[in-house]
Amino acid sequence: MDFELSDDIKEAVVKAKEFANKYFTEEVAEKSDFNEEFPTEIVAISKKEKVLDFSNPWKVLVTIEELVRRDPGLGISVTISAFGAEIFMFFGNDAQKEKYMNPVFAGKRTLGLGVTEAGGGSDVAGIKCEARLDGDSYVLNGGKMFISNGQIADHFLVLARTSPPPSPEKKHKGLSVFVVDSKSPGFAINKLHGKLGVRATNTAELIFDNVRVPKEDMVGEEGKGFYYIMTFFNISRIYVAAQGLGIAHGALDRLLEYSKKYAPVSETGELSENLQLAIAEIATRVEATRNITYKAASYLFKFTPNPIVTSMAKFYAAESAVFATKRAIELMSLHGLTSDLERFFRDAKILDIWEGTTEVEKLIITRMMLKEGGA
Amino acid sequence: MEEEYEILENTVKDFNAKYVENNSLKFENESMGKEFVKLLADQGFFSMMGQSGEGAADVKTLSVVLENLAKSVPAVAVKTLLANSFLSLVNDPKITEAVANGSKSGTVTFSDLLVGPGQNGSLLLSDGKIKGEKQFVFGSDSDFIVTLLDTGELVLLKSGFTAGKKLKRLGFRSIGFSAVSVNSSDYDVLSKEGRKVLEKLYDQLSIPVAAISLGMSEAVSQKGLDYAKVRTAFGHYLKDFQPLAFELTSLIAEMEILKRYFEGLISTSPSRKEAMFLKHKALALAKDISKTSLQIHGGYGYLEDFGIEKFYRDSMALSVLFHNEEHEMEDLSTLVFETKAGFV
Ligand SMILES: Cc1cc2nc3c(=O)[nH]c(=O)nc-3n(C[C@H](O)[C@H](O)[C@H](O)COP(=O)(O)OP(=O)(O)OC[C@H]3O[C@@H](n4cnc5c(N)ncnc54)[C@H](O)[C@@H]3O)c2cc1C
Repeated sequence: MDFELSDDIKEAVVKAKEFANKYFTEEVAEKSDFNEEFPTEIVAISKKEKVLDFSNPWKVLVTIEELVRRDPGLGISVTISAFGAEIFMFFGNDAQKEKYMNPVFAGKRTLGLGVTEAGGGSDVAGIKCEARLDGDSYVLNGGKMFISNGQIADHFLVLARTSPPPSPEKKHKGLSVFVVDSKSPGFAINKLHGKLGVRATNTAELIFDNVRVPKEDMVGEEGKGFYYIMTFFNISRIYVAAQGLGIAHGALDRLLEYSKKYAPVSETGELSENLQLAIAEIATRVEATRNITYKAASYLFKFTPNPIVTSMAKFYAAESAVFATKRAIELMSLHGLTSDLERFFRDAKILDIWEGTTEVEKLIITRMMLKEGGA
Repeated sequence: MEEEYEILENTVKDFNAKYVENNSLKFENESMGKEFVKLLADQGFFSMMGQSGEGAADVKTLSVVLENLAKSVPAVAVKTLLANSFLSLVNDPKITEAVANGSKSGTVTFSDLLVGPGQNGSLLLSDGKIKGEKQFVFGSDSDFIVTLLDTGELVLLKSGFTAGKKLKRLGFRSIGFSAVSVNSSDYDVLSKEGRKVLEKLYDQLSIPVAAISLGMSEAVSQKGLDYAKVRTAFGHYLKDFQPLAFELTSLIAEMEILKRYFEGLISTSPSRKEAMFLKHKALALAKDISKTSLQIHGGYGYLEDFGIEKFYRDSMALSVLFHNEEHEMEDLSTLVFETKAGFV
């Protein structure tokens, strides 16, 4: 067992740090947050400078962690352009990989993933969006809610029902995944405004009104969409855990800085014990989050994913991010409230919600453990 | 609850329904506007506390009003608290009348009590002028500011100050929050023992601040209850899922106990310790219950349209703008141990 990162991964950390130092200025971060504006320019530069090296998933993981540690909204915006691309990697055919996946990994296109609907996100199998075969194409009707990259993606991977469920208990059957071009006739996109956090990211509602999708743009086999999406979530949740790790670590950085600069000290020059214990607790959580996230990642990156550990990492990282930002603001008082930490606090809460709520992750862990007999 | 308070509660409820609820996003995020502030003042809400210099201020009726105002837009309650705080310290009839009727506004800088020495800027009086900069002024868009000088006097700044760039806006976004530059010969010295007066007022705000927290908790928990009864997932109402139902129920149990305690305190003369107990627990509850309610709403909780996320932000902002964990726990521990405690 070796807890050291290899030299090339360490280089990726340094590269991400340098990029964030250069481009994630407080001015830009604040403006993107205030105006709910996607940082188009920075994302373009990040693609040009190949900040995300998709050839090595460890590099992607540590880059997310490091960028988000500097600013969650900008960090996520820079690292979310290929959201969903692993679905092509595992289930797409060669033509789809060539046409859709490669340009995304090359930074030339942006992808979005449409699973959640207004009626529900946790209950993925309960979606209502329909795709009906008509000649050489499927006709898509329905809508998707809260879709990241909604206004900026060139294509979306969309989960839709292609056949009725065989029984109420088997709702996960009969769902399929399609690639939908954002410029398709009948496809409307409404930006969602007024998010609590991650306001630099772009979120929208998608509406499909008789949108035609060529047959060849179905990914994988008809009826297997639920399985594809769940497989994808077992990948993406590790990256969400990295987001949580970055946020919690960012909160720790800020609390430590405050402790050195502003916190009251005793006559002997010591910080209050209350503050010392809080720092220790947050730091321990950061370390624990890192260990569980890297463990989940090491299973996945060796192609032996462990969904139990993945869900543990995802929910624990989310809770740690929320916990760390809350405690840091409470302790830093007005210094926390008036620094970028307040943004971290707002941003952190999304991690409890997206890509499987914290409650759902916990249910997955126990149900799978009971089924499989342990992590 | 006493009849007098019930009448007051209904008055605020009607006021909220008529003037606040339809404008809640604007009042929270942009500005309350002069017209609305006047309406608020016309209810007599700005001058309910009396003069804190003359002994125990009457925070009881004010607290009932604040609790209920906070249910719709917490920023409206906080604005009311600032006006009352200001009027409890200022005597000048022209100024008090203008602030009480809402044509002018006033604030008090509690930040002097919240951050360490030298971290809140510096204001000095020399040659008949007050000069310098005060950091962290909540209500910096006010016409008048009561603040401390470095030399300890509490002064009323009547003009000659300008608010700087708005500071970050976690909560109460319609209320100015920035540093203030001062170059003023238009001021009154309210007290030579300014810090003591300010500390006394700050103490008296324990119950009003707790009342705002409780109002927020009531409103946001009700939203959680309502949503969980209509939203379904996996073929069940959310209320039927134990993690959500148990968590919210447990927090509501805490809230009901605190409400009883609050009602008990406002019908007697609470001790400082009791008032601080209430504030300590009510602030924590507002944060916890907002978080749970937001979580119950899933993605919708994250969007401002559902009126949940503001409670998540405001409950944290309240617990920083009117509270300092370490200072207050040191004080409270000392009261509980009946001897100096919580210091090494
Ligand atoms: C900013 C943002 C970006 C997003 N980006 C995307 C995206 O790109 N693509 C996409 O498809 N989706 C996206 N989402 C949607 C997100 O994944 C969903 O919001 C999330 O899955 C929860 O679904 P929901 O909002 O419908 O909540 P619901 O499913 O209605 O859940 C509400 C509450 O019920 C709880 N709950 C549900 N079932 C159970 C149960 N069995 N037991 C206990 N508790 C339960 C949940 O934990 C939650 O607390 C995004 C959301 C946001 C806010």
